[in-house]
Amino acid sequence: MTMRRIGTFVGQHAVLVALAVMFSLPFFFMLLQSVMPLDQAKTTDLWPRYFEWDNYAEVFRRVPLATYVRNTVLVCVIAVIGTVVSCVPVAYAFSHMRWKGRGVVFILILSTMMLPFQVLFVSQYQIFSSLGWLNTILPLTVPAFFADAFSIFLLRQFFLTLPEETLDAARVDGAGEWKVLWRVVAPMAKPGIMAVAIFQFLFSWSDFFGANIYLSDERNLTLAVGLVRLNTEAARLGESNLTMAAAVIFVIPLIIIFFFAQRIFIEGVTLTGSKG
Amino acid sequence: MLSPWLVGFVVFTAYPIINSFYWSFTVKRYGSAARWVGLENYQLLFGNDDLVKALQNTAYLALIGLPIRIGVAMLCAALLARPRRGNGIYRLMFYVPAVVPAVASGALFFFLLREGGPVSSLFGLFGAEAPLWFGDPAWAKPALIMVGTWAIGDLMLIFLAGLVDIPRSLYEAAELDGAGRWAKFRHVTLPMISPVTFFALLTGMIGVLQSFDQAFVFSQGVRSGRLTGEPQGSLLTYAMLQLRQFQDGRIGFASAMAWIMFLITLAITIVMITTRRRWVHTANDGLI
Repeated sequence: MTMRRIGTFVGQHAVLVALAVMFSLPFFFMLLQSVMPLDQAKTTDLWPRYFEWDNYAEVFRRVPLATYVRNTVLVCVIAVIGTVVSCVPVAYAFSHMRWKGRGVVFILILSTMMLPFQVLFVSQYQIFSSLGWLNTILPLTVPAFFADAFSIFLLRQFFLTLPEETLDAARVDGAGEWKVLWRVVAPMAKPGIMAVAIFQFLFSWSDFFGANIYLSDERNLTLAVGLVRLNTEAARLGESNLTMAAAVIFVIPLIIIFFFAQRIFIEGVTLTGSKG
Repeated sequence: MLSPWLVGFVVFTAYPIINSFYWSFTVKRYGSAARWVGLENYQLLFGNDDLVKALQNTAYLALIGLPIRIGVAMLCAALLARPRRGNGIYRLMFYVPAVVPAVASGALFFFLLREGGPVSSLFGLFGAEAPLWFGDPAWAKPALIMVGTWAIGDLMLIFLAGLVDIPRSLYEAAELDGAGRWAKFRHVTLPMISPVTFFALLTGMIGVLQSFDQAFVFSQGVRSGRLTGEPQGSLLTYAMLQLRQFQDGRIGFASAMAWIMFLITLAITIVMITTRRRWVHTANDGLI
């Protein structure tokens, strides 16, 4: 039995380590390239001759990163709040409430995901333009408060996995639907809500298209636009080391946030476990 | 409870959708008025053999690439769902590719896969000749699937969130019935996360139909003078390349293209939804 346990342990970790290497190897190359001297970055070498940390300083010299980071964080935080606040009630209405026409309206919601966003963009631009919102962060944040199809669908699927009996118990105790939602459903679906929040954060952080279209003033720009602009310049000069350094700077905050956010998945287990 | 969605839907979605439907019957450019041309845009599209080629390529990616991605993501999530020392680090390493911006991952894979690059050296160690990947129509699709499978972090996250929601008591009950590891996965885990799997399949399918950026980035300039994104190459992108017409300002034609794509996606979605009762387990799925 113990031998078998050890076998399972070794087997599982062997699979995990193999996968981890496969997943992170390209990222590792990215780190290595980001500290290569310029002439070496143009070759097929993998290991830097020496570590050129000045590449990172060079990125900071070329673009006002601090401003970009501040703008990006502002957009991300507002958009995440908007998404969670607006999508959770809608998803609840499509999972644990019964009403006429629910199926049809839900298909309608799903179908909005199927139109390529370019289709919507032309008219949306006209709307934001006539509202006088161009060159502000409003077009990047306000729509988040009106619930998007992807987040609604994802949250709904999570809510569906919750046992109806627990909700009914709360209803029998006289709780209204809002109370059931915030006191019972939301705490139980924390991992799902966190997943939606992470996705929205990641989307806002990386959104190049929207930010590039709606923001023009240098002091309003976000990191994604700054990264692409820097990269266009760097690619012309063959400075792939700078491209990679900028990408690393772009990714590091996301990695840190993900590392802390994923802890909720551990909490999730213990929470359901103790209730079980 | 629906009000936030309803307002946003009318203003930010319904109105643009109706507009684009109208434009698909017109010739329109940015900043100029639309001129009605009836079905001309649609006739132009269907008189085009490339549309068939593009659809075949899309089907290839959907039927082969998507199941691989979902399988790998589910495996990773299942391995990392239980709280255990070091799982946080593994999760992070598996997730990282999902946050690498397209600008960087495109350049990165271009670097890794090019002639004389690290991957072809690796093939050389075994005395084999490496394929040209994105430079070779026969290898472009497998390469695209490979890159897509590398970035499954989002899918893994969804499965992870679904797995930790499963009550422990179900597993304990299964153990009392003498269920082994596989039986527990087959009879508890799979049915319990099937709503989440359904989500992954449906959004994944939509994603494949709309995948454009990645294929476009990789099909450009991989080998000088040769675009695998062209219809005689093997990428799916031709259909979506038409959408680039938005960038060129051919809004009417591009809207028609988008509507064809939309109707195809909608048809597949409705088939998936109507057949889902056979495999999606939910206690209270009162939908439709």
